[in-house]
Amino acid sequence: MKFNTVVMGGGLTGLTCGIALAKAGQRVAVVAAGQSSLLFASGSFDLLGYDAQGAPVTNPVEAIKALPEGHPYNKVGDVESLAAQAQELLAEAGIKTSGKANANHKRLTPIGAVKPTWLTLDGYLTLDGDTLPYKKVALMNVIGYLDFPTKFIADGLRQLGADVEVKPITLPELNEARKSPTEMRATNIAKVLGNEDIVLRLAAEINAKAGDADAILLPAVLGIKEDVLAQLLKKQVNKPMHYVATIPPSVPGARMQMLLRKRFEALGGTFLNGDKVVAGKLEGGKLVSVETEKLVGSKLEADNFVLATGSFMGRGLVSDYEKVYEPVFGLDVDYIAERPQWTRDNVFEAQPYMEFGVKTDAQLHAMKDGNVLSNVYAAGQVLGGNNKVKLASGEGVDMLTALAVAKNILK
Amino acid sequence: MEPINKEYDVIVIGGGITGAGTARDCAMRGLKVLLLERFDYSYGATGRNHGLLHSGARYAVTDKESATECIQENMTLRKVARHCVEETDGLFITLPEDDLAYQKTFVEACQAAGIRADVIDPEEAKRLEPSVNPTLIGAVRIPDASIDPFRLTMANIYDAQLHGAEALTYHEVTDLIINQNRVEGVKAFDHHARINREFRAKVVINAAGIWGTLIAQKAGVTVNMFPARGALLIFGHRVNNMVINRCRKPANADILVPDDTVCVIGTTSDRVPMETVDDMRVTPQEVEVLLREGEKLAPALATTRILRAYAGVRPLVAADNDPSGRSISRGIVCLDHETRDGLAGFITITGGKMMTYRLMAEDATNMACQKLGINKQCETATTPLPGSEVPAEEPAKKTVAIKAAEGRHGNLTKAIAQTTDIVDDALVCECEHVSVSEVNFALDNLHVSNLVNLRRRTRVGMGTCQGELCATRAAGVMCRKQEQAPEVKADLASFINERWKGVQPVAWGDNMAEAQLTATIYEGLCGLNQFAGKEELK
Repeated sequence: MKFNTVVMGGGLTGLTCGIALAKAGQRVAVVAAGQSSLLFASGSFDLLGYDAQGAPVTNPVEAIKALPEGHPYNKVGDVESLAAQAQELLAEAGIKTSGKANANHKRLTPIGAVKPTWLTLDGYLTLDGDTLPYKKVALMNVIGYLDFPTKFIADGLRQLGADVEVKPITLPELNEARKSPTEMRATNIAKVLGNEDIVLRLAAEINAKAGDADAILLPAVLGIKEDVLAQLLKKQVNKPMHYVATIPPSVPGARMQMLLRKRFEALGGTFLNGDKVVAGKLEGGKLVSVETEKLVGSKLEADNFVLATGSFMGRGLVSDYEKVYEPVFGLDVDYIAERPQWTRDNVFEAQPYMEFGVKTDAQLHAMKDGNVLSNVYAAGQVLGGNNKVKLASGEGVDMLTALAVAKNILK
Repeated sequence: MEPINKEYDVIVIGGGITGAGTARDCAMRGLKVLLLERFDYSYGATGRNHGLLHSGARYAVTDKESATECIQENMTLRKVARHCVEETDGLFITLPEDDLAYQKTFVEACQAAGIRADVIDPEEAKRLEPSVNPTLIGAVRIPDASIDPFRLTMANIYDAQLHGAEALTYHEVTDLIINQNRVEGVKAFDHHARINREFRAKVVINAAGIWGTLIAQKAGVTVNMFPARGALLIFGHRVNNMVINRCRKPANADILVPDDTVCVIGTTSDRVPMETVDDMRVTPQEVEVLLREGEKLAPALATTRILRAYAGVRPLVAADNDPSGRSISRGIVCLDHETRDGLAGFITITGGKMMTYRLMAEDATNMACQKLGINKQCETATTPLPGSEVPAEEPAKKTVAIKAAEGRHGNLTKAIAQTTDIVDDALVCECEHVSVSEVNFALDNLHVSNLVNLRRRTRVGMGTCQGELCATRAAGVMCRKQEQAPEVKADLASFINERWKGVQPVAWGDNMAEAQLTATIYEGLCGLNQFAGKEELK
């Protein structure tokens, strides 16, 4: 099978790149191994939340200029215009967000901490300054759902100056689901709440329990497939209502994954789900074709290839007792040779392994044995030099490097 | 300083298995007992070993006395601590690089110590234990088994309390109260309330493991201890169903024990300076030795994920006439400091092994009773621990969580079963099947004040995911009052760090991927780092 571009990795990075290329008229295949890091999504997109010293960032566009030389943002070009392009790409896929690349806002985390962020999905709680826009909120949770620690969240809300009342809610269908103790996960609850009738009754339950609160806060356990249902709930509830992110699996993440894939396919892209590239044929400094696990006997040929397989948790990088390597092509990886130096004693220190990644040139071309591969690009977390956890830069690096690669390919 | 409002017959210092067993024995003989533990039950060597119910075979050739004690206690614990023991049996294998002639010496020594030792054909050994190294040239089957030290300790504490004993965790003994060559009590620092307290007793028993040497110092007497550090690795699933030992003189990493859903290889053995006994981080060198030797017992270990590494310090004691420590035994040492040092009212119980804790407790209690003029027989060899009595009536409906809890608490689960409704039945920890009601049971009955305590009581966070998701759920359940939230969030941060301590020495392969995932969830998504900084949970 012949494509203009084959993208390896079906998460936020791979789909962003695939969509940008397909929209420009390319014939694109995305090979997706399975679950992506969208499963851990917060409902917000980070561009740069903290600088290299750990201080919160108010203007990411400015702060990015001060990042160390090796950071991938230094290879994407105009950050502000790519950021705008990313937000537009999301909107075109049906993912509506608010936020600006030159002014972070804040999000509330599943344990009630506050973090700076770039874009937040419509319907989710955000803060502009350090206060909540409400005096009194009703924090609701589904009875028996443990991945939404209400006392922790209430603690965070109180520190923001709000009065909080925790209100347990339930419906007969949820009581039924609870009988299987492993069913009480966000994505399962979202499936139970997946029809109009039940959403109407949920709205009634919420209205009945709301008391004199100014606003309702709910765990993000609704709208895995149909945004219509989330809209319906919002309309039926007679007070302002916002979602707060839960412990994974993430309902907004599952929804974004689906919408991005749909958008990619609508643009004519080929999405090979549950498959992965296992080998490739290199010739004269170029990748000619790749083989996947499932397409036995046939090869995917393309002019360009994009590696968007993620870091260690996505298995884009692999380590063993002796080394760190890129498992598909054996690309050059930037890492510290001595294993004891990979980590630090305190888990909350900056862990060196978080910055390991494949080496690239200024155009994000990958390298092998010290030589640039002229038609192989790397994007997202497989790139080195970015501690996404310390910098709060995950989604930004994913999307901006993906768009930069797409731009380089289309040049 | 708090006023002294109570006087005890006996104060036991140390909440490891020896102290717990001693408190139980003393309480069963009618003494008024107070147990003081510096941090948490099983914090020291008790919680940092193989979890092996030794048959004694390991010591048969080199230390017959220990071997005999082991096999007797082995048979006793199978009865009185039934719910803590899994009867697996064990193999002593000879590999091509080992001397097969040693097998004969070994079997004869076992028989002399009263340990059943059946030479079996290597093919039979492979059939019994498919994971065993297939190149073995000899095998002996012996009555080893696996035992849960956390459960065993808690069952002793629980029963001591049922017999009227009091027990306080996070109470660190800072000094002994001595009056005219007689110990009359102890001063202790309460780590939670951050105050000093005094407790008076007629007899003080030092059962503080390796830290017992420091307690003795405070009393002005000398107990020569030789800290022998041992490191171990836990593997992510249960590779073997029988204990596998090497049939040779005891050496590094030659025991592989199946424990619950995992298996454990160990140990190394290194003399370490006393100043380092609180530093339990495993070194890269220790990991290398354990991996290299461990794979020889069961080759599958080479491709099995290592969950974490941990280390403990054995309280080995040199005989009084051998201050150099050259002749170190694993035997029990029970010191009457009145006859030995002229200090009345003070006993040190040390040496020994987890295996022989009950005997150690019996010796120490006998000595205390003698001092107190009490003439009552020890009954711990025949009285089952709570949870190990004959099974009572079954709960009507057994969920997965109830079955798992039965494994952990024996028929104490009656209390859990009765409170169970569908909300309480929700799983906090999916790897180890720990339900909300089990967490509540532990909070109410098993001295749980933080997540590390909870892990030691219920195995929350001990499974394959090492607390990736269950830690937040458990923390949420533990946070019963709104005002506790900041404290519990700080505990959660500390708990994630504590889990990392064991993963870091083996952070490669899947562990590196999991570590990154944990960081993505807890720091990236949740911002847990904002609540970090509290000292390590102990």
